[in-house]
Amino acid sequence: MTRYLTFALTKGRLADKTLEKLESIGITCEEMKDKSSRKLIFVNEELRLKFFLAKGPDVPTYVEHGVADIGVTGKDIIMEENRAIYEVLDLDFGKCRMCICGYPKAKELLSHHEMIRVATKYPRIARDYFHNKKHQTVDIIKLNGSIELAPIVGLSDVICDIVETGTTLKENGLEVLEEVCPLSARMVVNQVSMRMEAERIRSIINKLREKL
Amino acid sequence: MKSRLLHTPEGVRDIYGDELYRKQKIENKLKTLIRSYGYNEIETPTFEFFDIFSQETGTTPSREVYKFFDSENNTLALRPDFTPGVARAAVKYFFEDDIPVRLCYLGHTFSNRSDLQGKLKEVTELGLEYMGEPSVDADAEMIALSALVLKEAGLKEFQLCIGNAEYFRGICEAAGLGEDTISDLTDHIRNKNYFGTQDLLNDVDMKDDIRETLYSFSDFFGNIEVLDLAEEKVKDIERSLNAVKRLRELYERLKVYGAEKYVTFDLGMLSKHHYYTGVTFRAYTFGTGEAIVRGGRYDNLLENFGKRKAAVGFTIVIDQLMNTLERQHIKEEQDRVKALVLFKDESFKKAYEKALELRKEGKDTSMTRVLKEEDMEKIRETAKNRGINEVYTV
Repeated sequence: MTRYLTFALTKGRLADKTLEKLESIGITCEEMKDKSSRKLIFVNEELRLKFFLAKGPDVPTYVEHGVADIGVTGKDIIMEENRAIYEVLDLDFGKCRMCICGYPKAKELLSHHEMIRVATKYPRIARDYFHNKKHQTVDIIKLNGSIELAPIVGLSDVICDIVETGTTLKENGLEVLEEVCPLSARMVVNQVSMRMEAERIRSIINKLREKL
Repeated sequence: MKSRLLHTPEGVRDIYGDELYRKQKIENKLKTLIRSYGYNEIETPTFEFFDIFSQETGTTPSREVYKFFDSENNTLALRPDFTPGVARAAVKYFFEDDIPVRLCYLGHTFSNRSDLQGKLKEVTELGLEYMGEPSVDADAEMIALSALVLKEAGLKEFQLCIGNAEYFRGICEAAGLGEDTISDLTDHIRNKNYFGTQDLLNDVDMKDDIRETLYSFSDFFGNIEVLDLAEEKVKDIERSLNAVKRLRELYERLKVYGAEKYVTFDLGMLSKHHYYTGVTFRAYTFGTGEAIVRGGRYDNLLENFGKRKAAVGFTIVIDQLMNTLERQHIKEEQDRVKALVLFKDESFKKAYEKALELRKEGKDTSMTRVLKEEDMEKIRETAKNRGINEVYTV
């Protein structure tokens, strides 16, 4: 009996987009379309595939441990989690940017090496950017949401966060001061699966690559 | 009140009973196999000067090494891996002549990695080092032995993945890439990040055919035929051609060992560690998320300790091997018979003789005094739960 190939997908919009993409290369999961279902694992018996949904930051964890062979999640999360996994494909959706944002006057603080206070949901990305790219001392304040609030209430000088349209920033008088890197959804693969299931996984990657 | 002292720190644990028995049995089996190939055991200290494990010689980032100070304020480190210590010892004691040295070790290593990742901080590693032999024979012996070790442990399905960093380095040299670009490129190729490679090299000036080769690194992965493809691409890069040639020779040798059916090649398998210089290899199997065997050639390491000697080695983490066997439902035959002799005070002598007799038969026998007849059943019950196969009453 063929071994199941397991996918870990990021709950929400990213999962819907991913399923759409997979469908375009003939990989379907009817069970998953039933939104009222309370199932945790969805199976396509015919193709011997399993799917489950997880929180974004958990996807690299599942893949690193090999309980999922393939995962789809954002580049921001892959950078922040920094797991030993293969990043094999840029899926070209979920596009946005990781940016340093703040009031226009905070720009001054970014032009020299003085210590700067940064609020973020992504401490590793922020630290890496300030230490290794800007060589600036940094005081990182970890927040879990509504990061834009931090400079407004005076918790930090700037923030390091994802920017999609920039509307929230603009409405609050904030702006993008520097871009850290572009982001999008990525397909990741476990190291062992890449070898042991080379044929199946590579065929999926190649088919998806052709569609991009 | 003292119950808070009962649990261990995160990342370390107690091993006992049947689990420890199985672990030691596997260790002994593997050691016997390795010894039969002429390897001698070596024990190096659990902690050494930190410099032994520093960036040039070690595989573990400094922040993951447990460090402390001695009374003279030297920085000491709990060994994060064996190879640097074994290399130091080898330089100290051997190589007065040119005869190669074969060493093996078994012991604990320590890494202070961040918590909550489901990984142990103290593990048992078994490893081999073959020093002073630069030829393909040594590469082949190492790789063949890693396959034998996995088979001896009971694994049936696994893959040996072989690479040679020289191939990649030859191309980088020919492309005239700077150190920073090479470092980023290494990361992308190691992570099979095809589009990252493309982004990185788009603006870099180089010959088109070399660019194409670097873009197609993810194709250099598969069975022996990929070597043809890889060779085709580097017709005028001698360093890379030599790397492929070495792999071909290696494959011929592995055929003699009958290990070729496990072999795949991956020229994009680049190690994070500085110390690997040529052929590298890893073994993969289901039931574990990462490579189960890691090894390769590190011809420059011994020079750090004062002698220029080639070397090749590999290591396997026993705890990971045990987990993998369990997940693959591979069970050892239960060969241990445990017996218990119950006696009353007056029959001690008789019980002792019975126990001796049982031990002679190869049964692991213990004796317990029973005070009251009615306790008998309870003791039998407990004995059964503890995995004692035979209970005798005297």
